[in-house]
Amino acid sequence: MIKSQWLSTSSDKHEENLTLHLKENTVANESKKDPSAETEAEAKHRERDEKTNELLMSLADQLVKAAERKRNPTLEIPIRTQANVNYNKSRKIIELGKNKSQRQLFNLSQAKSFMQMILVASGCKKLIDQNKTTSIRGLYYMLKHTIEGTKEETFAKQSECDPMIEDVEVTLNALREELHVYAQSRGTMVGPITIVDSGDEIDCSRMGTGGYGIPSIVEDDIVQFKECDAKFVLHVEKDTVWRRFNEDKFWKEHNCILTHGSGQPPRGVRRLLCRLNSELNLPVYCLLDNDPWGYYIYSVIKQGSINLAYESQRMAIPEAKFIGLRARDFDRCGLSDSVKINLNDTDRRRAEQIKQYPWFSGKKRWIKEIDTLLANGFKLEVEALISLDVSYVTETYVPEILEAGPRQWLD
Amino acid sequence: MGETNEESVNGQPQPAPEKKTRKRRSSAEKMAAMQKDISVGEFFHKNRHLLGFDSARKALLMTVKEAVDNSLDACEEAGILPDIWVNIVNTGSGRCRVAIQDNGPGIVKKQVPKIFGKLLYGSKFHRLRMSRGQQGIGISAAGMYGMLTTGKPVKVVSKTSKGRPAHYFEIQINTKLNTPEILNEDGNGIDIPNGEVGQAVLQDHEIEWEPVSHGTRVTIEMEAQYHRGRGSVDEYLEQTAIANPHAQIKYLPPDGREVFYHRASEVLPPEAEEIKPHPYGIELGTLIYMLKHSKSMQLTSFLSEAFSRVSPNVAKEIVTEANVRINANTKKIGREEADAIYQAIQRTKISAPNTDCISAIGEDQLLKGLHHVVPAEFYVAVTRPPAVYRGNPFQIEAALAYGGTPPVRKVSLDGLEEMLSETESRTLRQFLTTNFDGIGTSGANNIIEAAELKVRTSPSKMKPRERKRLHEAMQGINLSASQSCNVYRYANRVPLLFQPGACAVTQAVMQLNWRTYGLSQSRGSMPNGPITLMVHLASVWVPFTSESKEAIASYPEILKELRLALQGVGRKLGMYLRRRQKVKHQGERRQIFKRYLGEVAQAVHSLNGCDREDLFSQLLQVAKDQTAEADMQFDESGQVVEEPEMDLGENVLIVKSERDD
Repeated sequence: MIKSQWLSTSSDKHEENLTLHLKENTVANESKKDPSAETEAEAKHRERDEKTNELLMSLADQLVKAAERKRNPTLEIPIRTQANVNYNKSRKIIELGKNKSQRQLFNLSQAKSFMQMILVASGCKKLIDQNKTTSIRGLYYMLKHTIEGTKEETFAKQSECDPMIEDVEVTLNALREELHVYAQSRGTMVGPITIVDSGDEIDCSRMGTGGYGIPSIVEDDIVQFKECDAKFVLHVEKDTVWRRFNEDKFWKEHNCILTHGSGQPPRGVRRLLCRLNSELNLPVYCLLDNDPWGYYIYSVIKQGSINLAYESQRMAIPEAKFIGLRARDFDRCGLSDSVKINLNDTDRRRAEQIKQYPWFSGKKRWIKEIDTLLANGFKLEVEALISLDVSYVTETYVPEILEAGPRQWLD
Repeated sequence: MGETNEESVNGQPQPAPEKKTRKRRSSAEKMAAMQKDISVGEFFHKNRHLLGFDSARKALLMTVKEAVDNSLDACEEAGILPDIWVNIVNTGSGRCRVAIQDNGPGIVKKQVPKIFGKLLYGSKFHRLRMSRGQQGIGISAAGMYGMLTTGKPVKVVSKTSKGRPAHYFEIQINTKLNTPEILNEDGNGIDIPNGEVGQAVLQDHEIEWEPVSHGTRVTIEMEAQYHRGRGSVDEYLEQTAIANPHAQIKYLPPDGREVFYHRASEVLPPEAEEIKPHPYGIELGTLIYMLKHSKSMQLTSFLSEAFSRVSPNVAKEIVTEANVRINANTKKIGREEADAIYQAIQRTKISAPNTDCISAIGEDQLLKGLHHVVPAEFYVAVTRPPAVYRGNPFQIEAALAYGGTPPVRKVSLDGLEEMLSETESRTLRQFLTTNFDGIGTSGANNIIEAAELKVRTSPSKMKPRERKRLHEAMQGINLSASQSCNVYRYANRVPLLFQPGACAVTQAVMQLNWRTYGLSQSRGSMPNGPITLMVHLASVWVPFTSESKEAIASYPEILKELRLALQGVGRKLGMYLRRRQKVKHQGERRQIFKRYLGEVAQAVHSLNGCDREDLFSQLLQVAKDQTAEADMQFDESGQVVEEPEMDLGENVLIVKSERDD
């Protein structure tokens, strides 16, 4: 009990924690048990780090070779825009295309970003060597300094550093956690499942009101599933809705895992959902706002995002279902006019855009859904249901929809 | 106070004058007794400002200018490479003794008094020939001014050849009669024989004379004030040296300096031809005068003999057009017929006058002259083909020097202190703008601000420490952006130092859009930048706006040629500046790469443990190759690769600066 409390506070702190996240605790704990024997997870871990190191070194070797041959050092970076992603119909996920952009050291507009990329690579090497991880903001601070003999900073803002990390990821085809960098954790989980996180056993049905903060890195060398009685996963859009469900003990009654991802779910949440789905065979149901952004959150969970198309394979859940809210629910549930939020131009444009995505355009029911939204001219948030009754969403809406079965859901 | 006085003083509307028979004050007869000839001498005696002798400062300049112009004209006409000595000595109480000597052909004994002691006497007025002097007023007017202000005569020494003795005269002008009076030796002057005897004579009479085998020396003492800066003798001689690279000038100003302008070229300008007037260039009055004074002959033959470009056929055409009998005699042509002929001339097509008579300085000589005197990094010169205004052939030349050290940075602390003590400027800003070319008000303000002084500080009351601060600020100031263009104007190789605003050259410079050529310029004003522009108008008859010969009149034909010449130099400057910009840009690129290379090398070193220094130097080499490659690419798109100077043409001179961009 004490342990889990400590963990939950620490996960809250994660959000702003800029200092290096020390993994020494775990190492120390493990070594107490058996200093000589290497656990399976640790072996995997080491193997992975060696592979990443090799990739980083090859990047550096490539540059040295170019310099020796008096060539302009060039990096080839897969392009991460919609133009370079394809929807794989048979696998039902978004995949990165083959187009690459070149980044050269001796190109006036690319010189700085080239340098920044190499800096990020060297930062990751350092983290791997020390067996530590840091947040992307931590990495930014780690690499930020004034360039010798100038007044220029290597990175002026974190927003300069973040895309460089992604560039390194795609260029090396290495994942963020393999580079020992994590993003802010923004998701929470609760439900009848027991997991082991870095050697600590956590019973997610005993998390109080706060829930288990889903870390950024949830690979099986860090998080293992120990025991699970849940039958499905209900993913809601944000914290407020999640709290409603948690307070009403919805997960106890319906025997499910309850998660949220603070809007667009971060990688850790998506990866965890994916693992719950693929390893424990739990279906994933999404309860999101009825607006283009809600649709797209579902789309990202289901077939992956454009920006992180290279990670779709291990994050997408093609079987995920969209259970609500639906555009028709305004009439069906008899909501009052005051809960309507009118669509603005950006919303309309985004809706049209989503309609064009190949993974939506082929689905008649989805096109109908989006058309209804556009015809309505307003969007609905999940919280709108509270206007009927505080617990309407947990006691009536979701149970009804779950009861009604897949025909009433969107796929 | 009388009624009439009040009227003129107040200038207010007055009640109607009382009707009262007034007493006539004078009669036509009485007035006739007062009416008499005005001698030229008396006229200029009273109106000396018309000739430029309006202040003690300007008088000095005008005297040197007239004498030097005459010397250069004489030398060129005789085919001698000019050596000129200019010597100014302060004789106290606001007086100076000015002496100018040349190595010209000398003047025969009989002519000396008339040339120096009679106004409007000379060889240049009556012929159409390109020369510096035009009217024959200048040097005698200087002598008159000297006599007027000090009472001392003009002293002239002239020697025509090695074997002959030199003559020494002390001449005074009789302003009433406009005749010379020789004062020494009962009006005969002194002969100075060659050899030691002559040396003794020179010493006895305290005559100064540079030993030359032929030449003339004129010495005038006058009320004058020596100064430096704008409109000074120094400036005039400097500019003269630019336009006359074949001349050598040795200048001794009263402050003890020795200024020596070496001969930059051993080539004399080609001799200017004398031409007959072109019919388009004369006025009706001139035509009537010419008809009246011609020999009795047929009208057609008069036209073809008196004018250039009038063949017998053209003459016949004119006469027929004018409806005058072809074989009419010149003596019998009346005013009306002359008018008809004048009108007919304007309607008849007559080819442009022969332009051989113009002797331009030439691009090569312009470059030499400018490079010799104005330190800069880029020089270009353009000589336009001759053109014609009002029947007078003329030719425009322009040269431009870009870059180099501005005059404010050249002055030494001692020189500055001297200038500060001499100046008449009341404020520091005025002192700076009047004494140094090309800084303008904003530049002066910047200097004063940098020196932590006040704009209104009186230059003469500055403390030594303040002077030192001012000097430091002047050395450190960066004027390249705010510096305004310097324009040197010349007419027949004579620098024009005054009235720039009234001059066609200034107008042409300001009307041209210099931004096209990479300079900054506010609309309708001089371009900014470290530029010295030199513009020369050569013509058989330079159209000055006034007798003091300070500004050129704006004839449309002249303005057009000026524009074309300025565009010519502007284009070359533009090419040079763009190229320089490219080089600079490459340098900046290299700098940017260089900046990141250290970081990259360090990061790679920490990634794979390679040698940091090795990698850095290798990358640096690649950076150099890469930027050089970019140069090449630029060149492939139309610019010549190896010798960038060559593509600018031959009329350009580039001085490699020691700075490494």
